Amino acid sequence: MFKLIVHEVRSRRAAIAGWGIGLVLFGSIYISLAPELFEQLKSMTNLSVYKLVGLHLESVEGYIASVVLAYISFLLGIYSIISSTATMAGEEDNGTLELLAALPLERWKILTSKAAALCLVVFFILLIAGTGNTAALALMNRNYPVNIKPLSFFTSLIGSLPLLTGFIMMGIFLGSFMPNRRIAATVMSVYFTASYFGEHLSYISGSLETVRYLCLFNYYDTTETIFAEGIRFSDTAVLLAVTAAFYVSALYFFRRRDITVGTWPWKKGKIL
Amino acid sequence: MESDTIIQTENLSVYYGTHRGIRNLDLSVRKGEVFGFLGPNGAGKTTTLRVLLDIIHPTKGNASMFGLDCQKNGAAIRKRVSYLPGELHLYPSMRADYFFDLFASLQDGRPDPAFLAELLERLDLDPSGRIKEYSHGNKQKIGIITAFMGKPDLLILDEPTIALDPLVRQTVLDLVREVKNEGRTVFFSSHNLQEVQSICDRVGIIQEGELIRTEKTETLINRQLKRITIAFRQTPPRGAFAIEGVKETGRDKNTISFEIRSNLELLMEQAASHGITDIETKTVSLEEIFLALYSRGIPGDSEGDTNV
Repeated sequence: MFKLIVHEVRSRRAAIAGWGIGLVLFGSIYISLAPELFEQLKSMTNLSVYKLVGLHLESVEGYIASVVLAYISFLLGIYSIISSTATMAGEEDNGTLELLAALPLERWKILTSKAAALCLVVFFILLIAGTGNTAALALMNRNYPVNIKPLSFFTSLIGSLPLLTGFIMMGIFLGSFMPNRRIAATVMSVYFTASYFGEHLSYISGSLETVRYLCLFNYYDTTETIFAEGIRFSDTAVLLAVTAAFYVSALYFFRRRDITVGTWPWKKGKIL
Repeated sequence: MESDTIIQTENLSVYYGTHRGIRNLDLSVRKGEVFGFLGPNGAGKTTTLRVLLDIIHPTKGNASMFGLDCQKNGAAIRKRVSYLPGELHLYPSMRADYFFDLFASLQDGRPDPAFLAELLERLDLDPSGRIKEYSHGNKQKIGIITAFMGKPDLLILDEPTIALDPLVRQTVLDLVREVKNEGRTVFFSSHNLQEVQSICDRVGIIQEGELIRTEKTETLINRQLKRITIAFRQTPPRGAFAIEGVKETGRDKNTISFEIRSNLELLMEQAASHGITDIETKTVSLEEIFLALYSRGIPGDSEGDTNV
């Protein structure tokens, strides 16, 4: 199992480097421009459109949280859903899952290895992004001091890992449950988009308040309070529970799945 | 003590929805034999292999290998089995040598490096390239090497020689013979009847999901279809040999050719009454038998040990 995890991580080396460096560049640009952009944007704080995309313009710290933390978790969420639906359903569609299933590996080991590897990959990307962006923040602090400690910023960014593992496990579950990757990716994308915008909309419209609790993004704080108070334990607990629930469900359906057949796992043959 | 039976299925059926995969398959493969599994596209060959490897689940019936239930002991069984899928899909960006190393480690053992080198040399494959750079035939060689390198107790090969040139094909057949000589077992699913005839001890023929014949290759060839040409002193009149199971396939002066499925004795009695001057028998290939069986829409003409 360890060998499969190593292989899965190794096969994503380019993704780790590419996404890691890309997110460092993305975050660094926004951090370095934060004072200037914040000054320009804060006069428009009442515009709902900013709330819709989750921008907090009450302070430069809020602005950095709502841009850098939120967008990095959003972009890595996209990577998570692409990779997680590809890792089971995609391999089945490609035909390589049949090779793995014919090896002396229990199915739970195949699924767990792939899930663990993907979580590790996202963690490594976050480490690179966190290190680079923390360095950028430290540099900005020299000219434009803000009330964010580098360690607090770093841990806040790494704190998006439970959110991302939630998406990863949801994608792996859908890949094990749905007939093929196309359907799994479609359902995942719909939920992901709805979750992101649904959470922000729920702060604009009171009637959508209950919707907020169905959105995974709701459980990752991207306001300035995260820098002062840290990651909320209750949020992390919810995200880890969601991750565990989807992991168990994925295991259940993957064990029942007829690999290579491309059908719903509960759809069993009928003898005529 | 381990049973002499390596693969056993009982009443094994797989349905995809209401579409038939295999139906009531009773199959037995013995230790140390090369078992040929024959059938046209869609007959259920690959479905059977996938059930054995626990890749798909049966709708009904049981399958066991090495005396262990395939559904309950899949991983333990697969420790002793190598599988070459009929539709081989590899990881395109992976180097072939890394692929061998990875799969050897996942097969719970490292291959003897000398044996791996020997396989690479015999199949003429340079493993330093990325898989996507290889031709279709060379990708098939990678699959073959992966299947053989761990020296498993049972090799399940689904169309192993597809896309290979005749020389490499021969090498693969030699490798199969060597496996058999070492007392290991091969389950050989193929369309290529000449290959099956040349290496298989027994064959199972599957049609529309049902096993219609299991027999020793030699027996099947000898028993099923005979071709005889008899030269007579005087030409017998047309219709002289209206015997069930005997078909007149040609006449040339005093010579008549027959295709015989049964009643050989009766034919010889009747032929003798017309004065026989010469008899010539022809060997019939497995391919001809296979085509004859299919053209008659079996099951039916069975003398074979179908449920062996």
